[in-house]
Amino acid sequence: MKMANEPVPVIRRNRPGTKAKEWCNWEDESFEEMDSTLAVQQFIQQAIRKDFTNVEEILNPPDGQDEGVWKYEHLRQFCMELNGLAVKLQAECNPETCTQMTATEQWIFLCAAHKTPKECPAIDYTRHTLDGAACLLNSNKYFPSRVSIKDSSVAKLGSVCRRVYRIFSHAYFHHRVLFDQYENETYLCRRFTQFVTKYNLMSKDNLIVPIMEDQQTLEGESEA
Amino acid sequence: MHADFNVFDHQVMADVEKVDFTYSDADKYEFEISELYSYTEEPEFTAHQVCFEELAKTHGFEKWTSLSRDSQMRFIVGLQDDLEVTDKEKRIKSVQALLYLIQGVYGECKSRSHMFEVSQHCVLLYLDIGLYSSLVQLLAMEVENSNAALSALRKPAVSITDSKELRYILNILYIMVETCRIASNEKDTSDELSRRLYEATELFKEEMIQPVFGDDPLSVLLFTMVTRFCSGSAPHYPMKKVLLLLWKVVLFTLGGLRDLEKRKNEVRVKHNLPPLTEDMYSVCENMRPASPPASAADLIEHQVPRRGIRAGKRSSLDDSFESGLARDEDDDLMDGLKTNSDDESPPTPPRPATPTVSHRSLPWKPKVRLKDLENFLDHTRQKFVGFEVKNDHNSLAGLPQPIHEGVKVLKQHLHISLSEVQIKREEEIAKNPLSLPELEVESTPAEKLYHAMLSNLPQYMIALLKLLLAAAPTSKAKTESINILSDVLPDEMPTTVLQSMKLGIDVNRHKEIIVKAISGLLLLLLKHFKLNHIYQFEFTSQHLVFANCIPLVLKFFNQDIVAYVNAKNSIPVLDFPDNVLGDHTELTAENIESGDNQPHCWRNIFSCINLLRILNKLTKWKHSRTMMLVVFKSAPILKRALKVRHPMMQLYILKLLKMQTKYLGRQWRKSNMKTMSAIYQKVRHRLGDDWAYGNDMDARPWDFQAEECALRACVDRFNNRRYTSGGYVEPDFRPVDNNILSLLGQNIELSPEFKAHYERWLHLEVFSRQIDWDQVMMR
Repeated sequence: MKMANEPVPVIRRNRPGTKAKEWCNWEDESFEEMDSTLAVQQFIQQAIRKDFTNVEEILNPPDGQDEGVWKYEHLRQFCMELNGLAVKLQAECNPETCTQMTATEQWIFLCAAHKTPKECPAIDYTRHTLDGAACLLNSNKYFPSRVSIKDSSVAKLGSVCRRVYRIFSHAYFHHRVLFDQYENETYLCRRFTQFVTKYNLMSKDNLIVPIMEDQQTLEGESEA
Repeated sequence: MHADFNVFDHQVMADVEKVDFTYSDADKYEFEISELYSYTEEPEFTAHQVCFEELAKTHGFEKWTSLSRDSQMRFIVGLQDDLEVTDKEKRIKSVQALLYLIQGVYGECKSRSHMFEVSQHCVLLYLDIGLYSSLVQLLAMEVENSNAALSALRKPAVSITDSKELRYILNILYIMVETCRIASNEKDTSDELSRRLYEATELFKEEMIQPVFGDDPLSVLLFTMVTRFCSGSAPHYPMKKVLLLLWKVVLFTLGGLRDLEKRKNEVRVKHNLPPLTEDMYSVCENMRPASPPASAADLIEHQVPRRGIRAGKRSSLDDSFESGLARDEDDDLMDGLKTNSDDESPPTPPRPATPTVSHRSLPWKPKVRLKDLENFLDHTRQKFVGFEVKNDHNSLAGLPQPIHEGVKVLKQHLHISLSEVQIKREEEIAKNPLSLPELEVESTPAEKLYHAMLSNLPQYMIALLKLLLAAAPTSKAKTESINILSDVLPDEMPTTVLQSMKLGIDVNRHKEIIVKAISGLLLLLLKHFKLNHIYQFEFTSQHLVFANCIPLVLKFFNQDIVAYVNAKNSIPVLDFPDNVLGDHTELTAENIESGDNQPHCWRNIFSCINLLRILNKLTKWKHSRTMMLVVFKSAPILKRALKVRHPMMQLYILKLLKMQTKYLGRQWRKSNMKTMSAIYQKVRHRLGDDWAYGNDMDARPWDFQAEECALRACVDRFNNRRYTSGGYVEPDFRPVDNNILSLLGQNIELSPEFKAHYERWLHLEVFSRQIDWDQVMMR
C-alpha cells in the first residue's frame, strides 16, 4: 500500500481491515493543504505520529493559528489519549483499593461531574471527569464551531485541565509502573505539563508530578 | 387660600416633609454592598483576614497588593484547586481567602477608593480564570448538604453559624455580580481597568444566563433555595443573601427598568408601532408632590367654612380646578419654607412665593385604547344610524359633525400597546396553527429565564410572598410560619443593653432589606416578562394574585408609612467598609441611637414604590382585581400613604385610587375632593373614561372566577404551545423531520419477523433499487 510513489492522490483513510502497523500510514500533508474543518486536529495528530517525544514541536502552532482553537484542539487530543491511560488503570485501580481520588496524601478531590460535587473512587473520578470533559468539549452550546471559539468558552478550558491533570497525578503516585509504561509510550504527561505551562492554564504549584527533567528552567521561562 | 394656610400651620413639619429621593434600579454601590452584611457578621471580617494571611504565608508572600499579576493569578488558581478538595476545612479556608480578596483586602488598604480598586481587580481576575462556575458548583453542593440541614432542623434556634459556608460563597458571588453590574452601566471606559472590566462583564452576563451544570442557570438554583427554605426543610439558608443575589442576578442579566423602556421602544418599532416619547422617570422628577390629604381633625375644623364658600352651584370641573390651584400654592409655600427648591440653603422664614405658571399643563398626554374607540363608534352608530359596523374604525357615514371631531381627537391619542399586538398574534396562531405558525422565538434573556422558571413558577411566587409577609413590619413575630432571622441571630443571645439594642436594629434592618430585594425582584420580573410576552406576564401575575399578593401589599401599607419611610435602622460605624477601615470606633449607645445622617431611608422608599407598582401592574385593566382593592378597603390605607410627599410614590397611589373611584360611592368622592383633584392633575387621562362620576356598578357584575378562568385558558394555551414539546400540535401536523442526525438517533423497535427476514427486505428495498446516492447527499 505504498501510495506515495504512485501518481494517484493520497487517500487518507483507514479502510476496514487495515492492519495495525498500516494504521494512518500515509505521508504528511502541510498545514496549508489541509482543507477540512478539522485541519487543526489533523495537524496535531500528524505531529504526534511523526515523533511523540518531540513535545516542543507538537505544541508549536502553525503561523497565524487562532490560540483559542489551538488550545481547544490540544485539550481534545489530551482527553482522547487519556482514555488510553484510563483503560490501563481499570485493570489495577478499583474502587476497593483506591476509594478516593488522591494524589499526594493531603489532596483528596471532589468529583465535579455531578450536579452537586461528591467524593468518588479514583477510577470513577477518572471516568466521570473524562466523560464530563468530552461532554463539555463537544457541547453545541459552548463549542458550536471548531474554527472559531468564543472567549467565554476558552475560559472553561482551565478547569478541564485542572481536573484532568489529577488523573496523571493519581496514576503517578499510586500506579507508578503503569504510569511509567504509558508515559514512555506517549510522553503524554510531559506534553500536558508543557502545554498547561505554556498557556498558563494551571499554576505551577499544582503540577505535582515531577515529570520534566528541567522543571526549574521551565518555570524561569514562563516567568519571563 | 386662607384655609389652606391654616392647614399647613397645623401640620407637624416632619410629617409633610418633601421627600428627596430619586428612583433607580438600586442604591449606590457602597450601600448595596454594605447591606449584604448583617451587623452580627462583623467578627467574621477579621477571621477572613487571618485565613488569608495564613494561606499567604504558606505560599511565601505577605502582601497581596505588592504581588505581580502573574503571582496573584497563580495564588488564586491554587485556591480554585482547593475548592474541589474533599477536606471541608481546607475548602472553607480557601473560600474565606477568596472572599477577603474580593472584599478589597482591607488589611492592606487605607481608603475606600483603594479598596474598591483592589476589589475590582479581583473580580476581573476571578472572571478570567472562570472562578464563577467553581463557586456555583460549590454552592450547589452546600445547598444539597443534608448534614447542615439536619443539624439546623434539630437545633432549637438556628443561628448564623449554621449558614457559614453558604454565606461566604453567596457573598463572593454577590460582590462579583454587583461589581459587574456597576461596571456594565459605567459608560466611561477611559482607563484600562474599567475597559477590561467592561469587556469581561459582557462575557460574564452571557455566562450567567447559561445553565451552570445540568439544565439550570444560577437564578433557578437560587429560586430552589427560596422554595426549599419556605417549605421548612432548610431553615439554615441565609435568605437575605439569597434574595439579594437573586435580585441582582436578574437585574444584571435582564437589565434595569430604564433600559427596559429603551428596549420596549425598539420592540415597538419592530412591530411597526410608534415609539413612546414620554419618559416616566423624568416626568415624575418634574412633578411636584401633592400635599397630603388633611387629617380628620383638620377636616372637621376647616370643612365648615370651606363648604360655605363652595355652597354655590359649581360645575365639577371648576371644583377640581380650584383645589388644584390651592394645591399649587401651598406647595410653593412649603418650598419657601423648606429649601430654595434646588440648592440646600438653610431654612428661610416663610414668604409668599410667586405662583409658577409653567405647571399649568398636564404632565401626561392622554391615551385612548383601540377598544375605547370601538366602543365610542359602536355607541354613536347605534344611536344615530341604528346599527353597529364591526371592525370599521373609519367610516363616519351618517354621524353628525361633532362626532367626527370626537373620533378625530380619539384617533389622535390612540395608543396601541405591545400587549394588544401580542394577544392578537396569539389568537391568530390559535386559529391558524399551520398557515400562520409561530416563527422562531427570539431567545432573549427574559425568554430564557421564563422558560427555566416555568415548571415551578407558581411555587416560586408563593415562596417569595411568604417571605415578604414574614418580613413585613406589620406581621407579628409569633405568627410567622418561617423564621427569616436565622441569618442575623448570633450564637448566643445578647446579654447587655447595648448588644440587644444593636441586635434590635440589625433585625429591623434585615427585614427591610429582604422587603427591598423581594419587591425589586418581583417588579423586575413582571416588567421584563410583560415586554417579552404578555402571557408570560399574565401567568406570573395570576399566580401572584392567587397567592394573595393584593391583600398582602395592602397589609404592608397598613402601617405608619411615614415612619417607615423615615426609619433609621442602621449603625453607620458598623457598616462595611467603615467597620474594617481605620480605627475602630467604639460602639456606644449614642452612635447606635444617632443612626445615619440620611433624611429618609432609601431602601424603604424604594420598597414602597416597588410594591405600589406591583399592585398597579396586577390590577390595571382587570375589573375583578380592582374590585379586590375595593373589597379589601384599600382606599383609606392608600390615602394615608399619600402623606409621603414623593411625586412618584404619590402617582402610583393615585393611580390605584383612580381605578376604584367609581366604586367608592358618592360620599367618599365628596369628602375626598382634594385627592380627586390630585388624581385629575397627576394621573394620565383616558379620553372618554368616566372614572370619577361614572356609576356603572350595577352594569358590571364581577365574577372573579370567570374572569380569571378566561385569562387562564389563554395563558395555558400559550404555555402549552410554546413550551411543551409537541404537546399542542397534532402528530399529523408536525413538520417532517429530515435531519439525518436526528433520524439516525431515533430508537426504532423492529419486529421479530423483520429481524428474521431483514435480508430479504434489504434485497428488495435497497439492493434491487437504483439510487443515485450522490444526488441524495447533494440535497
